[in-house]
Amino acid sequence: MAATLDTTKSPLAPSVTSRRIAAFLIILYATISFIPMVLIVSTAFKSVSDAISYPPKILAEPSLEGFVNLFTQRTRQSAEYLETLPPPKTWYEEIVRKRKMVIAGPSRFFHRFVNSMVIGFGATFFSVFFGTIAAYAFSRFRIPLKDDLLFFVLSTRMFPPIAAAVPIFLMYRKLGLSDSHLGMIMLYTVVNLSLSVWLLKGFIDEIPKEYEEAAMVDGYSRMSAFFKIILPQAATGIAATAIFCLIFAWNEYAFAILLTFREAQTLPPFIPTIIGEGGLDWPAISAATMIFLLPVVVFTIILRKHLLRGITFGAVKR
Amino acid sequence: MEIAWVGLKWYRKIFSDEDVWLNLQATSHFLFWTIFFQGLLGLTLALLLNKKFKGHETLTTFVVLPMMLSPAVVGVFWKYIYQPQAGLFNYFVNAIHNFGEFTMIGDVSLAPWSIIIVDTWMWTPFVMLMCLAGLRSIPDYLYEAAEVDRANKWQQFIHITLPSVLPFLMLAVLLRGIENFKMFDLVNELTGGGPGSITELASIHLKRAAFEKWRTGYSSAFAVVLFVAVLGAGNIYVKFLNKMKEK
Repeated sequence: MAATLDTTKSPLAPSVTSRRIAAFLIILYATISFIPMVLIVSTAFKSVSDAISYPPKILAEPSLEGFVNLFTQRTRQSAEYLETLPPPKTWYEEIVRKRKMVIAGPSRFFHRFVNSMVIGFGATFFSVFFGTIAAYAFSRFRIPLKDDLLFFVLSTRMFPPIAAAVPIFLMYRKLGLSDSHLGMIMLYTVVNLSLSVWLLKGFIDEIPKEYEEAAMVDGYSRMSAFFKIILPQAATGIAATAIFCLIFAWNEYAFAILLTFREAQTLPPFIPTIIGEGGLDWPAISAATMIFLLPVVVFTIILRKHLLRGITFGAVKR
Repeated sequence: MEIAWVGLKWYRKIFSDEDVWLNLQATSHFLFWTIFFQGLLGLTLALLLNKKFKGHETLTTFVVLPMMLSPAVVGVFWKYIYQPQAGLFNYFVNAIHNFGEFTMIGDVSLAPWSIIIVDTWMWTPFVMLMCLAGLRSIPDYLYEAAEVDRANKWQQFIHITLPSVLPFLMLAVLLRGIENFKMFDLVNELTGGGPGSITELASIHLKRAAFEKWRTGYSSAFAVVLFVAVLGAGNIYVKFLNKMKEK
């Protein structure tokens, strides 16, 4: 619509020149800030030697070595031994064989990926479930010390995770919860609760009280009014909150690196430890990063209208 | 096991520890410059985007992407970008002006800036979005009235635009301040607090004390000190938040 209004001589509309300059500068910034993303994708498809060549190559001959290295564990073999082997059957065996190595088995990446999914979705489910109930109560009932309680809920998010990790580490060790899925789901649920309560309270506040009151006059119990009126009305808000919780749990690193080691380790502490021969295996790390970031990018595009609301805990509604 | 009470021993130790003051210096340096650059760049970008040129919504989505990514994973990748030889950052800098070989994260004077650059790259979009929300909240009739009163563009900016955006900018800066005060994941992966302890921010210091030196008493006390500091800032933040909500 704005484009069709361009020709009107409103004193408020920015001039064509200033609009062009603005567009140019924004495109310039967007391009520069996008370079790292492009580099992640391009490095994921480089061979190991291209990734560390000098001068740096932005585009190189595409190779799937990074992905193969990410999903497999390999061992180096002598030329004599390799000659005794039958020719490689699959394309990935061929890539590995070219580097004078054989595949020893699958890597731990898939296991860590599953951990991230289980912990992420588990924590999201519980924090949205409890968050909706708590937010409804905060929104509709008169609760003594309501503001203090809300601040208390938020303060768990203010707490530096490392400061919280010390006592949690000691507690979890006593309870046998360290390095377990259950422990991480519980922890992320609690941390995410602050976000879900504050966000959902905002969304529920926007639903007029009169809807439920009318339903309750018609004989609905409060419970059925909640399920039949509030939940459908707040569906968008609940979905947005769930995505925010999921992104947080998916990205979380500080607790994960201190409290998980083998069984329940998620991707963020795992990705930095992917090493090849002679240091970090950059194509494999880039491939892992790409797989790891892709869902977040998709969710960010879906959420773009709610982003501010999520990050400011519902303070800014636009 | 018998408990030996030590009173305020660890707190005394923390406040007289020279390392702690160095950490706080590193933290304040990081805080000041990230907030400075993000505020300046964010406000500028928001003013530019508010010109509503064709395609500004799509571009906003593009610009916003970095802030939703995992800081730790992004930190690892920036280590690759910062590599002295194969890294793209050094390559670009040397293309503009040839400094010869340098390492961003290995150099004592450059390492603090390496984390500031990445944090600014990640979080400028957030400040921008906040300022944009502020700009969008200004009703058109204010400018119309100013135009009738023959206020020039500069006067309009000073008396209408800036006062309306300021609370949003303040909220953004406060939130970034709290987040960066407890900054851990990005810096831990990118520099790990090094070289030496040049980029050892408060949270990194705590992690090293608690999980590498296993000084549980000291680190618990340090955690309390950090928490009290953040809680103070958080209280101001919530007051601000409630005031914004009333509008």
